[in-house]
Amino acid sequence: MNFNRLPAMLFCMAWLAVGNVTAKVDIMACEPEWASLAKSLGGDKVSVESVTTAFQDPHHIEARPSLIVKARNADMLFCTGAELEVGWLPILLLKSTNSKIQPNQPGYFLAADQVALIEKPASVDRSQGDVHADGNPHVHWDPYRLLTIAEAFHQRLQTVDPGNDTHYRQRYREFVIRFRSAIKTWEAKAEPLNGVKVFVYHKNWSYLLNWLKIEAVADLEPKPGIPPTGAHLARLLKASKHSPAKMILIANYQDEKAARWLSDRADIPVVSLPFTVGGDHSVTDLISLYDEVLTRLLAASSP
Amino acid sequence: MKIESRKRVSNMQWFSASLLCGWVCCASANPFNPNLSLILDGVYKSENTALFENEKGFGLGHTELTMQDAIDDRFIGSLSAVLESHEGETELELEEAYINTVALPLGLDIRAGRFLSQIGYLNSHHTHSDHFTGRPVVYRALLGAHYFDDGLRLNVLLPTPFYWRVGVEAFNGSQLAGGEGEEDIGVYTVNSRWGGDFSPSNSWQLGLSWLDHRFDVLPDDEDADHEMEEDHDHGEHAHSHEAAYSGGNMFIADAVWKWAPRGNGRRGQLMLAGEYFHVHDLNEHATDDDDHEGWYASAVYRFHSQWSAGLRYGEVDLKQAHGDHFHDQSLEEADVMLAWSPSHFSAIRLQYTTQEGDGFDEINDTVTLQYVMSLGAHGAHEF
Repeated sequence: MNFNRLPAMLFCMAWLAVGNVTAKVDIMACEPEWASLAKSLGGDKVSVESVTTAFQDPHHIEARPSLIVKARNADMLFCTGAELEVGWLPILLLKSTNSKIQPNQPGYFLAADQVALIEKPASVDRSQGDVHADGNPHVHWDPYRLLTIAEAFHQRLQTVDPGNDTHYRQRYREFVIRFRSAIKTWEAKAEPLNGVKVFVYHKNWSYLLNWLKIEAVADLEPKPGIPPTGAHLARLLKASKHSPAKMILIANYQDEKAARWLSDRADIPVVSLPFTVGGDHSVTDLISLYDEVLTRLLAASSP
Repeated sequence: MKIESRKRVSNMQWFSASLLCGWVCCASANPFNPNLSLILDGVYKSENTALFENEKGFGLGHTELTMQDAIDDRFIGSLSAVLESHEGETELELEEAYINTVALPLGLDIRAGRFLSQIGYLNSHHTHSDHFTGRPVVYRALLGAHYFDDGLRLNVLLPTPFYWRVGVEAFNGSQLAGGEGEEDIGVYTVNSRWGGDFSPSNSWQLGLSWLDHRFDVLPDDEDADHEMEEDHDHGEHAHSHEAAYSGGNMFIADAVWKWAPRGNGRRGQLMLAGEYFHVHDLNEHATDDDDHEGWYASAVYRFHSQWSAGLRYGEVDLKQAHGDHFHDQSLEEADVMLAWSPSHFSAIRLQYTTQEGDGFDEINDTVTLQYVMSLGAHGAHEF
């Protein structure tokens, strides 16, 4: 390789990187659900990438070099907030040296800031486990909260990229019509799930369960963020004799071992669900995510 | 030699007390804001070992209070104070007290004050995030476990498709051995770091660092010799952070590779790291053959969300100055460790260390039991 050409090559690469940014609004999503929503609302005027996948626990990510590069290039970030990304987002923002996506800038958008959160603890004490002081951050499992977040995000897109405001308003109107009609279908379809009792691995389904009036009788984790222990599972097994649950819900990125143990002894199925977009080959956007999860829940609850 | 900024407990009691009170008051009022954290670190060692801070028996490691938060939209500030107990006296040491810019144009980033140098892989990490008890032997010999100093840093994040950061630092130089020079700026460092992902499961990082230490050789050789001897006798167990050995030029190469199933660190993670150090221009009597050299390689596997096991091997070949000539010293060290972390905030570690070498007094094998726990703000998950 001719090293005399190296500076010229680097210059070209830098120029290309900058060129891409000016063409489309570059959005860094912290989780795939927000990447999907940003794509639905931005269409061809945005380029979106999620820095985590459906198979990663978004709480346990390291601020690795590739993420710093993505943060540096972004015009906007779209994250959950409510301390879900507390271990890596602040350091990523600092290392990115990117002024557009710092807190209080138009390019800094957190879903949890747009809606009220449930399960907000009265006091935060680590002996309760790794609880989020601001409340449960997994808001993409409530379709109505999703609509509120979509509304706020489409307004924010217009602030960041005012030249394409009519485009964003049009995309938002289309999204709302599509999503509202999907909610109607889901609510009709999910009626048999009303009142069903389930075990959950972690409190990441709370919004979904509240919406569909499914009752979580207990968590496999003894405390949020603390992996299941033998003693705790034995207690759950005993309790399940009195008030039987229909199934055990886990996200498909979580360890199945504990759920299988309880499933074998209590004789109830484990339902492994895609937690977000990309979690299954059939799940390509938010609507297909809800479709797939409802289908699996209904299949597991019908005798 | 004591670091000047270290103050006795009587002077500083109010300070640590007010830090603690501040933490308690704010923790109850508004749980994690501002970001305050307290690290509790305790150690039991079965034997004394060469070039190691803690003596055998029960002892405390780094008891550390850190406050970090945004100052305004342009700056963040951070303070880390380490409380250490030594020979019945409690000492407070400011390990870090710096300001850092937020989002300057052109990928620039400036830090000023006292901070950990970014040379090497481990040096800029706080010791409580380490996977082993005690830094690799090469760090303990050449950087005093971790090198921090008063100075200024300028970094540039280059606009390349992969991660490439270049940085320079200028330091006072008083925290490295032989750092009694006349120069205002005793140490310069240059560091370049590259990184990226091979795939969603595999990530890598490489770094090259160079440290220019512009120390003056002490005028009287006999004094120099004497001081070295003294340092050698007491320096091993005194917890002075000054490096025991130094030279005019230090070169470090580091490499890190991490793997997690589908990139999900919660389910398990393999972390491989290695660093190589070479120091030359030891003093005016040094020939081209007189140099310090050392390296380490470590592998840590988190095989369960709460359990990890690791192996580490490291060695150093050192030259101890005696007037116009040098005496050879060498130390090889191997560690095996098993750690249990019931939550994000706690770890208990059992480690077996074996040492071999020449020219040191306490070359021993030891069993170490350690806890490292944190209260307050959620720590950063650095790569």
